[in-house]
Order: sequence, then C-alpha cells, then structure tokens
Amino acid sequence: MISLPAWMTDRSLSADLETLLAPEQDGSLERFAAEAQAITLRRFGRIISLYAPLYLSNFCSSGCVYCGFASDRKAPRRKLDYDEMEKELTAMKALGISDALLLTGERTSAAGFDYLRRAVGIAAKIMPRVAVEAFPMTVAEYRALADSGCTGITIYQESYNPEDYRKLHLWGPKQDFLERLETPERALQGGIRSVGVGALLGLSEPVGEALVLARHVRHLCRTYWKAGISVSFPRIRPQEGGYMPAYPVDDRFLARMIFAFRIAMPDVDLVLSTRESPGFRDGMAGLGITRMSIASRTTVGGYLDTETPGASQFEVSDDRSAEAFCNALRAKELEPVFKNWDPAYNGPLINEETICR
Amino acid sequence: MDSLQLGSYSFSSRLILGTGKFSSTRSMLEAVRSSGTQLVTVALRRFNRNQAEDDLFGPLSEIGGITLMPNTSGAATAKEAILAAHISRELSGSPFVKVEIHPNPHHLMPDPIETYEACKILAAEGFLVMPYIPADPVLAKRLEDVGCASVMPLGSAIGSGQGLSTAAMLSIIIRESGIPVIVDAGLRSPSEACAAMEMGCEAVLVNSAVAVARDPAAMAGAFARAVEAGRQASRAGIMPKSGTAVATSPLTSFLGTAP
Repeated sequence: MISLPAWMTDRSLSADLETLLAPEQDGSLERFAAEAQAITLRRFGRIISLYAPLYLSNFCSSGCVYCGFASDRKAPRRKLDYDEMEKELTAMKALGISDALLLTGERTSAAGFDYLRRAVGIAAKIMPRVAVEAFPMTVAEYRALADSGCTGITIYQESYNPEDYRKLHLWGPKQDFLERLETPERALQGGIRSVGVGALLGLSEPVGEALVLARHVRHLCRTYWKAGISVSFPRIRPQEGGYMPAYPVDDRFLARMIFAFRIAMPDVDLVLSTRESPGFRDGMAGLGITRMSIASRTTVGGYLDTETPGASQFEVSDDRSAEAFCNALRAKELEPVFKNWDPAYNGPLINEETICR
Repeated sequence: MDSLQLGSYSFSSRLILGTGKFSSTRSMLEAVRSSGTQLVTVALRRFNRNQAEDDLFGPLSEIGGITLMPNTSGAATAKEAILAAHISRELSGSPFVKVEIHPNPHHLMPDPIETYEACKILAAEGFLVMPYIPADPVLAKRLEDVGCASVMPLGSAIGSGQGLSTAAMLSIIIRESGIPVIVDAGLRSPSEACAAMEMGCEAVLVNSAVAVARDPAAMAGAFARAVEAGRQASRAGIMPKSGTAVATSPLTSFLGTAP
C-alpha cells in the first residue's frame, strides 16, 4: 500500500469541479460553454498558441498496456541522430513552428538523459521555445535541461488511481506511481518554468480523474508560485497493441470537463492536441482551449517523411496541414500564434536567484 | 498645446494601445489607426523575424506617426527583463521599454522587487522606462527616484475588466507623483478610461477591452474620445463632491465679513 500525498485526497481543492462535473449538470453544457468562452476571451483574448511535437525516439523500457511504444511491441525501433534532429527541426521551422515539444519513451540506454539534453541544446538554437515530454528525471537533470534551454515539460500521470495504474503498467520504471506523481515538482525545483499535466482519459473513471487532476494543479500552483501550469486532455486513441479503454470518454463529457476546468481555473493554459478530430478541435478552440498542437507527426522522423509506417505512439486524428488548421481558426476569428515566447526568457527559474544584483 | 511628455517625446494622444489578443493583425492595425494613438506597446514575444505572417512588430513599424514601446511580458526576473529590453531596443530602435515582470504566469501581477531592480538599471542605461506596477504609492515614488519616465499602475488585474478597483491608491499616486501616471490594465469600458483621466492620470493603456470587442476599431475610437473628454474635464476643474446642498446665497452673510 503506497502512502499518497495529502493533496491527492483533499476534496476542498476540487469542490468547485465536483459541482460542475456532477451528472445532473449534463443539461448545462451550453451554459458552461458560454461561460468558458467569456472567461477565455477576457483572459487570453482571441489567440491560440501553437506548438508541434517532435518524436526523437521510440525506444522504451516500460510496459504500458495502452501505448504503441511499449517495449514488447513489434514496431521497429528508431531514434533520430543529432543531424537528423537538426533537419527535422529545420523542416518544422519552415512550416512556421516556433514552439517544439520533444518526445521520447521511457529512459533507455539508446535514448537516455545525455541524448535528451543534447537534443534540447540543438532545438533551442532553432526554436524560440523548447519543451520536453520524456521520462521522469532528477532535480539535477531538470536543472541541466533548463540550462540547455528547456522551458517546459509535459508529464501525464496517465491514471491518478493507484490501483488502475498498477494494472496498466506491467513492467519497467514507469511502474512507480509516486515517482511519476512527484515528477512535476522535481522539474519545478530544477528551474523548469512550466509544467503540463493531465490524465490519459479512458484509463480510469473520468470524474475521479478530473478531480484529482484539479487538486494536482492547485497543489502545484500553491507550492510553486512562479510555475506555469497547463492542463492537457489526452484521450486514448487507437494504437499499435490494440488496447481498448476501460472507461471510454465521449465528446460531451470531454467538452464538459474542459469547460469546467476553464470556469474553475480562469488563467491556466488548457491544451488540446491532434489526438482529437478536426470537428472537435475547431469547436473547442476558444471555448476554454488556449493552446493547440499542429501538423503533428507521432512517428520518429515524421517531418521529413523518412518514417517507418506504423511505428507511431498513437494515430493522429486531426492530420490537417498547419495552413489548413490556421485557416479554420481564422474562420472562428481566432488568431493562430506561432511565436509567443522569446529566448530572452529561457534558462532556469530558481526561487532564490531571481533578483538581479 | 496640451501634450503627454515622456522624456523628450511629446504625444498629443493620451491613449496607449496594447497589441496582443486581437483576432488578426489586420484587426489590430485597424484599431491602432482608429484610436489615433501615437504610442503602442508590443511584446518581444510577438516579434517574429522568421515569419512575417506571425509578426506584430513589422506591420506596426510601417504605420506612420506611431512610436513603438516594446514590452518585456514573459520576463520573470529583473535579469530577464533587462536582456529583453536590450534585444527589443536592438530590434526596434525605440528608446522606450515597458517593463513588465510577472513571475506568476497565471494572474500576471507585477513583481515590485524585480521591477524596481530592473528599472534602476535600465533608467541608468538611458532607456525611457515605463514600469507596469501594482498600485503602490511608495513603489511609485521609488521608481520616480531612480529615473523612470512614468509609472503605470494597474487599475485591476490584466484581462480582468474590473476597472479602477485600485482607485483609492491611484489617487495617492497621482497626487504625489512628479512623473506621468498612466493607468495600465483592467479597464473594461471607455467610461472607466474617462474616469481615470478625470482623476488626473496623464494617459491610459488599453488592450483587452479593445481587442475582444465585437468591433475593435470602433471600440478604439470610443476609448480615444473618452480619454480626451476625461483629460479636458480634469483640466477644466471638476466640481467637488459634497454630501450636502450648498446654498447659492451664503447662509452666514448676515454675520458680515471677517475683520
């Protein structure tokens, strides 16, 4: 039996979400949408910030039953070498992308910390903003990543239910629930400025997941007052391995969950990726969602078309080009913003070192 | 001629516009033109030399009669704001810098300590420093002492539309200040901008209220007229408020005049 941190069970941290997500509120969807839109407009204006993922490596050491990169999958393994990385990033830049999210699987000898740190250094020379979605690291490793130009990390808990989590992660380092849970805090202690959190929807009972996720966000905001926290809403997609979600989440619930987060957390970035369909993405842009991925390739080497078919982490649902997606945003009177950061603000943000002497 | 004086620059318009949050660059430019503003602020974050379509600086620099004031939004520390100010000056050629340091990226409240440190250094380096600050009368004087060109206290939180929720503190800042006081952030409607000017502010800065209006250009024009009306009222001398009626014929005339 693991001992959970106090915030995880502190219902006062999620009481407002609990009301908004109660079953009897299903009829309030339209009202929630209007409120979410008004709040988003006021705080974030008419813009959507864009980013794109770059899969560096699909080597993995963990056995997550729902993932196309799990180490027992037959899919061929590949990682980008440093030259390929530079070419991929340059290809992304040519699409206008200025904010890159670098991804790997769990830590392996083929793609470990040193590989990742060097990748961040290469990316930071090409992209104004670089973030990482990889494996849990130590505080010292996060500090080194921040020094190399990493601004943010994304780390989903996948399931906030320890029992489900145990059944979903069959082997490898990702089996450690608490180590993963504490990863955002280690990153922030290491000087990473922003952290994206989320639950992989479909793995566990979704209302419970939403409530613990909300507690997590509030715990992080309160403890690390300078941290930028963003929330993503990934939903299980078809993938190599054929896992079927135990708790499928439909569009109406996902929309309500996003509206509820926007109403309860007016100033936190809410993120929606190309896992979702064009119709859902276009509909949700500006109704709470403020940050979206574009032109995503979920295969290693995807931007130069050197990919091996089938070797993707999951199937992208919105495969429109950057231009087509931007036009859809413009049709909704939303401005797609590619560069919304500047390297002047890169580098670690440490509480004790902020005053310029 | 009644003009806003900032360093050696003088402006006949007292409305400063922010350029973020618009639905398109075209919509932003229309608002800028319609407002008659002569001073606009643009975030270094939104300078994009690699992609003209995504760049706010290029199109603004092509409008005649506009002075650009880069801002450091995104900086969490004095050190970052100073670096951003240097890069912005290099790119824009403008001597102005709007120092925005908000270490908490959610509520975006300005950090008084880091802001003071950054302003002290940037003013000594010759920038025309325009700090975005909490409505704190002591901080305002400290910033005047280190050579800032103005102070820009918040009316309320950025993007909150809560108007002049800091009015009591603003009136102290205005009464005490030897440099222009410009209300920045929180204004929702032209009447609030007018009220700020009537209080004695030298100018106001507006962004969200214009950017998210159904017709940004029309709203920008409305703000411009409200600012002008408020300024004229302030100079004309506003009748003091009183809780009781004041008799036109003095009640004490029978006592004769004082010896």
